[in-house]
Amino acid sequence: MNATTIDVDASRGGTTRLTPAGTVTLPFFVPARRRIDWSHLTGLAWLASPLLLLTAWIWVTRAHWFSEQILVPPQAVLEAFQEVWNSGELPGDLKISLYRLLLGFSIGGAAGVALGALLATSRQAQIYLRPTFQVLRQVPTLSLIPLFILLFGIGETLKIVIIVKSTIFPVAVATLEGVGNIPRDYCDVGRVYRLGPWTQFRRIIFPATVPALLTGARIALGRSWMVLVAVELLAADSGIGQMMEIGRQMLRLDIVMVGVIVTGSLGFAFDRGLRWLERALLPWKRR
Amino acid sequence: MVGAGSAALEAPVTHFAVRAIKSLRGGIVPLLLLGCWEYNAHRDALHAYAFVPLEQVGAALYELLANGDLWLNLKGSLLRTSLGLATGVALGIGSGVLMAFSRVALTLINPLYQSIRQVPLLGLTPLIGLWLGNGEPAKVFIIALAAFYPMVLSTYEGLRNVDARYREVGQVYGLNRIQSFRRVLLPAALPSLFAGLQQAVPFAWIVAVAGELLFNVGAGLGNLMMVAETGAHMDVIMVCTAGITALGFAMSQLVSILSTHIHRWRQ
Repeated sequence: MNATTIDVDASRGGTTRLTPAGTVTLPFFVPARRRIDWSHLTGLAWLASPLLLLTAWIWVTRAHWFSEQILVPPQAVLEAFQEVWNSGELPGDLKISLYRLLLGFSIGGAAGVALGALLATSRQAQIYLRPTFQVLRQVPTLSLIPLFILLFGIGETLKIVIIVKSTIFPVAVATLEGVGNIPRDYCDVGRVYRLGPWTQFRRIIFPATVPALLTGARIALGRSWMVLVAVELLAADSGIGQMMEIGRQMLRLDIVMVGVIVTGSLGFAFDRGLRWLERALLPWKRR
Repeated sequence: MVGAGSAALEAPVTHFAVRAIKSLRGGIVPLLLLGCWEYNAHRDALHAYAFVPLEQVGAALYELLANGDLWLNLKGSLLRTSLGLATGVALGIGSGVLMAFSRVALTLINPLYQSIRQVPLLGLTPLIGLWLGNGEPAKVFIIALAAFYPMVLSTYEGLRNVDARYREVGQVYGLNRIQSFRRVLLPAALPSLFAGLQQAVPFAWIVAVAGELLFNVGAGLGNLMMVAETGAHMDVIMVCTAGITALGFAMSQLVSILSTHIHRWRQ
């Protein structure tokens, strides 16, 4: 800014420029029409429809449009939650469900990484295993439930096997993809620098594989959770799915709703957790 | 790698023969697995309970085909899937379009969509069962939901990500809203729509079968499997599982072929 021209609040726009002679020239640009600034409110706008739905829900149940068996008021769901939580039913069922999920997912995940790495690196494995792998991958886990019930009974083994099946293939495919996508040049660079195997793994293979692997794990965990709930609905004596199934049989809609909300929140938490892990492990991949 | 290089230099016939023999090696593992299965099946009665002899599976397939059971249940499942798929895809595309064009619709629909989507789909079955009963509406509803989820997202993203230059060309030609939607936006969003369909179709099919496992009424492959499960008819279950897998695979291949056919002009 020099002494001859003075910009008066140019940042606001639509200001005039004072010349030394005191004459006023044309405005820089047409002044913006003043608008009400809603921007700080749009952050809260997403609340509108859930609140609307909740209000409608309360209003409809107050007006008794439907019977209690069809639509329970939100307060009843809250009370049912307290009831099953305090009685130890929900914590117990959750614990067993999460234990099944964790165990199956760990076994399936480890096996999936191993299988994927084997298929990606060994030519022999490619030749002998790949066709079998490709066929088995296509079998929907849910359609295997009756078959697995006959093979493994309806005990714990069934749930673990089902989760292992639903985890192993997405993880193996992701690993295969991740290892396959490591640019050859990177490995060459590693060799030129004579990096040791550990450094090569840490600096080249790990960063190149982990994004695909984490995405695969996220998909696998989401699917496993759905499959587990389905198995528990179908054949189980415990677990969150079983709680919902009993609720359905006893026409306790409030308990079923509690189950839906709890499984939904957990599914959300798993997804967010792995996304957070993605950001924490891969700081260069911010989206 | 050396072998592949020299094979490429040889005459195409030998190359073909070598490849044919090489591809047979992939069959060794499945044959071994089937051998194990067959061995277990013929060991003793206890094992034969779960590991049915493979010849019996063939006989079961023949029987199911002959008495029309397979066809009846297959038809039930396929009709139900088509109905649910059509409903879900139509509603999904509708919501996606609405969300892409209206900010109000976006702020209203998106939070509900995102939160309901978190619930494992089959975890909704007890709720749907209480509301819609165990019959056809409940099953179709859950299939429609399975198709709805991916379609909303792919439609919305497809329309949002249309290149601004295409829109400008539309404006230059003075197209009105409907014309620009039909001529510019829809063709540009089509690949994304097909990507959604690629997810929606197999998912709807699996959910249809799973829904039949859970809602045990009416004809369907899932139902046939559940009946076979209570009667410990492993052969019938194996026929059904194989059929479900093959059909799911065929469906996703069909979408993929359709997609490349429609996108010929892109190449």
